[in-house]
Amino acid sequence: MSALVASIYRGITYRGAEGQWAWILHRASGLGIVLFLYMHIVSIFIAAIGPEPYEWVHKYLYTSPPAKLLEIFLGFGVIYHALNGMRIIIIDFFPALGKYQRTIVRIELVILVIILIPYAIATLGSGF
Amino acid sequence: MATSSSRPVEGELRYGAPNHERRIWLFMRLSGLVMFITVVFHLLYMHVFIGVDNLTFGNIDARWSGPAGVFWRLFDASLLFLGMGHGMNGVRFTINDYVHNKILNFLLTAAVYGLGLFLILLGSLAIVLGAGGLGNLFQRLTG
Repeated sequence: MSALVASIYRGITYRGAEGQWAWILHRASGLGIVLFLYMHIVSIFIAAIGPEPYEWVHKYLYTSPPAKLLEIFLGFGVIYHALNGMRIIIIDFFPALGKYQRTIVRIELVILVIILIPYAIATLGSGF
Repeated sequence: MATSSSRPVEGELRYGAPNHERRIWLFMRLSGLVMFITVVFHLLYMHVFIGVDNLTFGNIDARWSGPAGVFWRLFDASLLFLGMGHGMNGVRFTINDYVHNKILNFLLTAAVYGLGLFLILLGSLAIVLGAGGLGNLFQRLTG
């Protein structure tokens, strides 16, 4: 536990650049996706029970206004984690590209924004 | 300490016998590569092309029915197994990074894997039995 507190303190005070933020976002998005996955598997299991319980869960868990906001976070998390994961794979298998990793982080953020704009429009547009 | 992005320093690479952590390292990369295609497709298809508001029980039933339903059940099974396998490992990396007490580390890891395996079982049941399949089975058993 003290390791966690120390790590959070160092994470805030250590003036890391793109690499550190990429790592923090990768971990945070990964944990968030796992939490969503738990909910997602349970709701699909409920669909195996029958239409009525599924429609009820879907209505309150996935289409309420707070769920709309979380849906944006989910899209951000999944797309970011996918893109940053590709950066990790590329640098793991081609270590020579490590010197360009800051540039690759910036490129992945640009791609992230390009994908998230239509995603956010589609998600919020259907709810309001 | 194994983290998701740890790798040997260049020039210090050792090609010894593959061990458990190295297989997991490879699994994280390979599952990540596969899910880069499948999960991003799944996300954009469900949230942008169909839209969560338009998702109904009928959608799931239709997608899992007929000859193409076999493909989509296998597709969803790959999402379930790769996603949960990749995710449980990610949580284990995080636990290893912060929880250095061996007993607490073991208990937390066991809890994460226990919950993960239980959810994989629930998901597999849904995929095998289909939409409404468990309810139908229950009705048949109880008459």
